[in-house]
Amino acid sequence: MHQLPRTVAIAFYALFVALPLGVLLWETVDGPEGFGFSAWSSILADPVDRAQLGYSLALAVSSTAVAVLLGFGFAWLTFRTDLPCAGLLGPLGIAPLAVPPILVAMGFADLVDAAGFVPCALLLGISYSPFVAVLTARGLRSVDGRTYESAWLARGRFAAERMLARLVAAEVAAGALLAFIFTISEHGVPEFLTVKGKNWHTYAEGVFANWQRRATGVTHEDIAAPIVAAVPLVAVIVVALFVALRLRAHSNLRGDPRPLPLRRLGRWRFVAFAWPLLYLAAGLGVPVVVMGLWAAGSTDLTEPMSLEVVRQSFRAAFEEAGDNMAFTVAVAVTTAFGLVAVSAPLARIAARRTQLVDYLCVVPLAVPAILLAIGFVRCFNSVSAVRVYDVTGDFYDSPALVVVAYVARFLPFGVLTLSNVVRRVPTEVEEAAELCGRGPVARALRIHGPLMLPAMWSVGCLAFVLALRELDVAVVLPAGNPAVVRKLSNIVHFGGEDMGGALALLLLASAILVPVVSVLITGKKLRSLS
Amino acid sequence: MSSIQVRDLTAELPGGFRLGPLSLDVAVGARVAVLGPSGCGKTTLLRCLAGLETPRGGTIRIGDRAVFDGRERVRPSERKIGFVFQDAALWPHMTAVEHLRFVDPASSRDAAIEMLRRVGLEAHADRRPATLSGGEAQRLALVRALAGAPEVLLLDEPLSSLDVPLRDELALLIHRLCEERSMTLMVVTHDRQEALTMGDELVVMRAGRIVEAGLPARVLREPATAFGAKFVGGASALPVERGSNGSVSTPFGVFEAPSRHEGGLELVVLPGDIVVADDGGATGRVVRVVPAVDRAIATVEIDGRTVQVACAESTLPGDRLTLGLCGAPRLLPAEEIE
Repeated sequence: MHQLPRTVAIAFYALFVALPLGVLLWETVDGPEGFGFSAWSSILADPVDRAQLGYSLALAVSSTAVAVLLGFGFAWLTFRTDLPCAGLLGPLGIAPLAVPPILVAMGFADLVDAAGFVPCALLLGISYSPFVAVLTARGLRSVDGRTYESAWLARGRFAAERMLARLVAAEVAAGALLAFIFTISEHGVPEFLTVKGKNWHTYAEGVFANWQRRATGVTHEDIAAPIVAAVPLVAVIVVALFVALRLRAHSNLRGDPRPLPLRRLGRWRFVAFAWPLLYLAAGLGVPVVVMGLWAAGSTDLTEPMSLEVVRQSFRAAFEEAGDNMAFTVAVAVTTAFGLVAVSAPLARIAARRTQLVDYLCVVPLAVPAILLAIGFVRCFNSVSAVRVYDVTGDFYDSPALVVVAYVARFLPFGVLTLSNVVRRVPTEVEEAAELCGRGPVARALRIHGPLMLPAMWSVGCLAFVLALRELDVAVVLPAGNPAVVRKLSNIVHFGGEDMGGALALLLLASAILVPVVSVLITGKKLRSLS
Repeated sequence: MSSIQVRDLTAELPGGFRLGPLSLDVAVGARVAVLGPSGCGKTTLLRCLAGLETPRGGTIRIGDRAVFDGRERVRPSERKIGFVFQDAALWPHMTAVEHLRFVDPASSRDAAIEMLRRVGLEAHADRRPATLSGGEAQRLALVRALAGAPEVLLLDEPLSSLDVPLRDELALLIHRLCEERSMTLMVVTHDRQEALTMGDELVVMRAGRIVEAGLPARVLREPATAFGAKFVGGASALPVERGSNGSVSTPFGVFEAPSRHEGGLELVVLPGDIVVADDGGATGRVVRVVPAVDRAIATVEIDGRTVQVACAESTLPGDRLTLGLCGAPRLLPAEEIE
């Protein structure tokens, strides 16, 4: 009985991570003429594939640089200096993560021409800079101020700063790599910018284009080639993830540190204030304001903006997309619980038995979301799967498929976060419970569970927000089409910005309010547990 | 009440550390202190007894039951053992009362508070570990270990993080509780004062093996090895040279070598074995003087090694002292560096 959570988690991984990706891999060698490596032998032979991969890599590197600049600057200024209102601004660093990248793109595209490479890199950098900001802040918080001070006393300020840089490098690198991974596999924003006049394409766009054309007579090679072409991409991401995990494993950010001494900015104090404001304005302010203006009727050239239009937009959003909103929030909540339920047992195995599980669980992040979703379609929309549905009921067209796809996609966040927490709990604490004779269920409920509860809560909140903003999986899976973010992306094609603006604001409100309110209710209790 | 019997126990930990083979007998109700330097295998021994590590070989019996014999391994929770971990390992999310009621779910809150009263923690019944001092946390760990009514109590450096008055207080408390419950006690430590305070019997370990065992007084006065003398008794060891005629030459003169040992020897000097004497045999330079209540203790360098001797308060570093040996020389097997 006590093995049940672990068995379920392993079965989940096998069925919803290993199987879809395995099926995709198999399809690259299983062609109409039987088993063969023709798709592999022509890897990157197509100049279009090569160009798309090149654009993806260049875009990922550029936007990661932007994300590091913005995110690191924000974290450094708010946690390391005497910036005015730093205590208030610091925790807001995570807020832009609630905004789907497509909304950031839509917001900026409404103000400026965003079709070029540089604007695209800027937009993606802005969207993913919270990863860098949050992890850098975590690194800065975790460094013991006495370490810095001893280096300062021994070798001077510059040496102390160099030591500090080394200590937080692992966290900054981890944040940068997350930004890189998400940008390189991003499909929604580049596709949106194509509508706005972009004439170059990324690898993820290519995969999706081939996928969409499959019903109109594409060959086996057309389907297999982008999957094979993903191999170098996946290899780059796997190496990056491996490096990130090793860096995190070697970082000595432990214990109960004394805060770092603050750097005095002097007369630059108020000038520096502009940087966090820029960060928040770009990631949160612009999309919110533009969506607000849309809701007020800014795109309607015949009528002036008014509160009445705002009211009508919100009413239309509730009437036309109320079900979408309910669907999206329900899927996000279920994803949050599902991710915690699957991640917790896997994290325990990773922390207490073999770190290999950490590496296996980052695989869904190494694969572009669009490809993972295609794997789901190939697995769960097959003839044999349909036969199973005759008995079990339709799974492919149910929201359950979207939930498991999201859980699979976000598995690395759950497992890596929770396994780090398990590692920080001394084994003696668990052994003391084992020695006292209580059964595994009692120990799980009374010892392991409560010790991990704050981290589980964080993972749940993160999964909730990421599920609200996930576009790529929702686009490919028919069951995910009702998602609000998908409906918003359609506004580009079909108009309806006023209702779309209101809907986007509702989505953002859910993404921000649900975690914030729940933290306000339970936060103190959870903190006292940790 | 249970005895502990260990035979030819061996264990190997990740990183290559090897324990044993070692054998050990602890009588029913005995209080044994296992003393040794860090990394000598004390904690591994304790964890093997508790079942938290699986040995490679040998047998462990607790009472009349074999808890490990190479084939079968009794679960830790079924060994009737109480374990106090080095850093207490309390459950950070539980109050003191909840700790005890988790171990014994059948006990009432009043019963749990009564147990806390035994260790002076009744006022902290609803406090969590983070709000307890080091001594209070260690007492809570102790009473948690006792809450399951164990027959054997194992303590891993229970006093190491406490200051001296708290150490004495907790040591007395542990003794009292063990006596009341007639428990067998085994405590491991690297601190000889803690070992002498806690144990009626002493076991000295080095590099995974037992090198001395016996009553503390015997180990202190008649150590069997130079390592035991130095580690337990705070002795110093001086080099000796074997002569061709069965004699050994020491800084204090030439003596007859013990016939039972053929290997290298050291002259082991316990505190009090040497005195400042005008007609002594060894001369050394004072490198440090520490004041004591009615005299001073000088550290004197002889042949590149140091010994300690009581001296006049007027002695200063740099002075030369002539030292004499009281009684027969202790020529013991030299330490073999592994």
